[in-house]
Amino acid sequence: MTEAFSNRRKGDASLWRRGRLLLAAVGLLCVIAITFLVSEIVQEMRFLNSASSDNVHWVLSQAEVEFLEFHNAIDLARQSDDPETLNAVIVEFDVFYSRMMTLGTGSLYADLRAIGNFGYPVSVIREKLDAMIPLIDGSRPELRAGLGTLAAEADEIRPLLRRVATTGLQFFAERSDESRSSVAVTMLRLALITVALVLALVVLLSHTRRVSNQTERRGQELADAYARLNTILQTSLDAVVVSDLQGKILNFNAAAERIFQYSRDEVIGRNIAEVLIPDDYRAAHAAGMARMRETGEHRVVGHGRIRLESKRRNGQIFPVELAIEKAQAGEEEVMVAFLRDISHRVASEKELVEARDKALAGEKAKAEFLAMMTHEIRTPLNGLLGNLALLDKTPLSSAQGRYVRNMQISGGVLMHHVDTVLDVARFESGVSVAREEVVHIGELFQNIVDSQASAAEANGNQMLWGWVGEPADWVRIDASRLRQVLLNLVGNATKFTRDGRILIEAERSAETTGEMLEIRVIDSGIGISEEDQERVFNDFQTVGDANFAGQAGTGLGLGIARRFVEAMGGEIGVESTPGEGSVFWLRLPLVLADGPGKPEEHSAAAPEAPGRDILLVEDNEINLELAREMLTGLGHRVTEARDGEQAVAAASGHRFDLILMDIRMPRLDGLGATRAIRSGAGASRDVPIVALSANVLPEARDSFTEAGMTGFLPKPLTEDGLLQVIARFCSGAKPAPDPAPQPPEPAISPMDRLRRRYEDETRTLFDWLATGPADRAEIAHRAHQVAGSAAAFGQSELREALVAVEMAADRNAPELGATIAAARTAWENAPAPTLS
Amino acid sequence: MLFPRLATAALATALFALPAGAETLPMPTGPVILTISGEIENTNGDGTAAFDLDMLRALGESEIVTETIWTPDTHTFTGVRLKTLLDHVGAEGDEITAMAINDYGVTIPFEDATETGPIVAYEMDGAQMSRRDKGPLWVIYPFSSSSDYRTEVIYSRSIWQLDRMTIEE
Repeated sequence: MTEAFSNRRKGDASLWRRGRLLLAAVGLLCVIAITFLVSEIVQEMRFLNSASSDNVHWVLSQAEVEFLEFHNAIDLARQSDDPETLNAVIVEFDVFYSRMMTLGTGSLYADLRAIGNFGYPVSVIREKLDAMIPLIDGSRPELRAGLGTLAAEADEIRPLLRRVATTGLQFFAERSDESRSSVAVTMLRLALITVALVLALVVLLSHTRRVSNQTERRGQELADAYARLNTILQTSLDAVVVSDLQGKILNFNAAAERIFQYSRDEVIGRNIAEVLIPDDYRAAHAAGMARMRETGEHRVVGHGRIRLESKRRNGQIFPVELAIEKAQAGEEEVMVAFLRDISHRVASEKELVEARDKALAGEKAKAEFLAMMTHEIRTPLNGLLGNLALLDKTPLSSAQGRYVRNMQISGGVLMHHVDTVLDVARFESGVSVAREEVVHIGELFQNIVDSQASAAEANGNQMLWGWVGEPADWVRIDASRLRQVLLNLVGNATKFTRDGRILIEAERSAETTGEMLEIRVIDSGIGISEEDQERVFNDFQTVGDANFAGQAGTGLGLGIARRFVEAMGGEIGVESTPGEGSVFWLRLPLVLADGPGKPEEHSAAAPEAPGRDILLVEDNEINLELAREMLTGLGHRVTEARDGEQAVAAASGHRFDLILMDIRMPRLDGLGATRAIRSGAGASRDVPIVALSANVLPEARDSFTEAGMTGFLPKPLTEDGLLQVIARFCSGAKPAPDPAPQPPEPAISPMDRLRRRYEDETRTLFDWLATGPADRAEIAHRAHQVAGSAAAFGQSELREALVAVEMAADRNAPELGATIAAARTAWENAPAPTLS
Repeated sequence: MLFPRLATAALATALFALPAGAETLPMPTGPVILTISGEIENTNGDGTAAFDLDMLRALGESEIVTETIWTPDTHTFTGVRLKTLLDHVGAEGDEITAMAINDYGVTIPFEDATETGPIVAYEMDGAQMSRRDKGPLWVIYPFSSSSDYRTEVIYSRSIWQLDRMTIEE
């Protein structure tokens, strides 16, 4: 129903109510009028029915006639002696007497007698007649003798009687007039009421006609609405099934016939459960219907579109999309179900999902293949570089030494490229997972500057870092990725800058989403043109410049940086002016954290570690030799095994401090060997076993842990890695029974000399600063130099204070004096310099 | 109409043990106050039936208590039922022409002569009616019993000082 339609219905209803009121009023009026009319008529009828008058005119004239007869009889008797004439006189007297008595006593004439002109003469006449009675009733001779007297009396009666007659006639004439006018009034009322009745009837008729028209119009509207509805139902592409609350089908449209393959007539009156519900669902359907009837709870009705299964006539089960609504149809509640056959859609969705899964699987397989291949390249490359390093330590001619170093440089570049590709592949295959840890962010920056400073200096560049505004220290962040991103940015800056400056600025900023950390890598290099700025973060994009052609890389670095930053919930961008320099910025969510009491010194423990008894399991001869050289170089004793079986045999007979286990080996791989050692009763069944693998994928690591391995050391092996593993897993173990000879002590004198030189430089700096030098560039330069050394000598507070001095001098900031004072305080409070 | 009349005749016959067919009525011994002529079967003269008061009394007395428009108050009238009288004389006709002493005449249809209908009254309130009191005979309808009897037609038929009746086809 549209609102307009329902409004009209409301209007009709009020019209209808008004009509009914009018009807009632008219009806009441009619009843009153008819009652009045009937009573009026009854009154008239009563009046007419009981005629209260005799034919009075006749009676009055008859009185005169009878008087004349009497008078005549007297005259006749006076002229004749016939005794009959006397009898006639007596008879005529009696008749006249009787008439006068009627007039004198009859109730009919009571009104008349009240009139003097009637009542008085009548009583006079009656007195005279009474006076005659003795004579009339007397003897005949006396009567004959009295005839003369009678005649005289009669002559006196005559005018009286005349008066009576005329008065009576006049009276009755008036009464007749009154009666006529009363009838006329009644008739007039009758006419008026008739007119009113006719008018009322006309009103009634017109109202009835209007109501009838209305009813007819509404009927037509209903019929039209029904026809429209039916057309909609029949042309609907969705099946529409209407049922009562018991599930009896009341309507079934054309689409339903098509979908369910039943004709309408076949299913009307049957139950939904037996016709449309698959056998498996019947019990649930019946329970649902019962629940709805009893508690009014709906799980399907009114819950929008849901997916279910339905049954065709041929028993085929097919998926439908279904929406059921409850509706009020007159007195009855019905359920209207809209069903759509979605078997095609479901089929195509399934195809689509399969296609997508295949595509995803293909992509993943590709990425995994790439990652695998890259590992496979790294392994021999590692062997190559390791052996080059060993070769470099042997006596070589100067030419040979130059060749080896060239090979080392080329190998390093190749390794870097392979690592880059590996990063992309790992990221794309989804195995690269963010690993947040708590780090000292300033230390992270310092490490980057320290590691890159020499490369920067090689191009004549000066590199420094510092905070703008309030510094942060311990933060929770994916440090490994951040480090990689920064290294990339700093590396790029170094590459494209000659004799300039590279500055890392860090700044905290509060945003609506939380506190952010913005890091800017600013260089004074060649810059990037506007159009290149847009694409530098895309994969395989290199920015061409003839002067720096030799520096071109894989074009993946910034692509990886972008991925990493985005994965960390941040953003990255660049602003640059060709010829002046570039600013690469990145903005990351800043999560402050509580730091540990003292920053860990990873490598500090390593030199102190006593020589350990280590089982080295490796099938690749080069790698085996490389690892052995490193371990023995670090002062450990190494037992070799070339496959898993040898390893198990060695481990069962001797208790080692540590087992380093390659994974892929002939006969028995590292995982199998580990399981055998752990499940056996050998001497080394519970010593730490560390996996050596180029496969750094997390699944691989999980499988190592499952097999019972204690830790993991990625290939290619580095001395640092070995140191850490040994420090971590062998710290509590007792030293090997036959400790290897200690590595040669580093020369003490050069260390002392360095330390003294550092102390001298620092003192010289502060003495010079005390003189209040004006050359800010010189201040920045010298502060930078001492700051770099301070970190190496374990005076990090002093370093930070000096960096602040340097940055303030650089920016020509007014707080330069304050930073110098702060640096002096830091210097005075700094611990004794030690080279760790 | 034939049947009820025959039935009525049979009833009258049974009541008064009158022989069927024409019959000679007894002769009046007192003054004749009513003479019936016309279509009658039972006579006591030259085709007429003459009645004195005693003969009328012998036909059985009926009473009507009623008001009239010609008298004051309610009165008890005593007389012979018109129907009884007609039966007695074996009247066979449609209407009666009733005549008064002064030759006033009215026509009374036979339909009026019912068991509860008019009487030919000779007493009012137990006293014989003289000629001066509209006697000796007065046809009285039971006016008070029904408005049907209070019409001008009935009033006109209520003839007083009656002395003759003629039965006509």
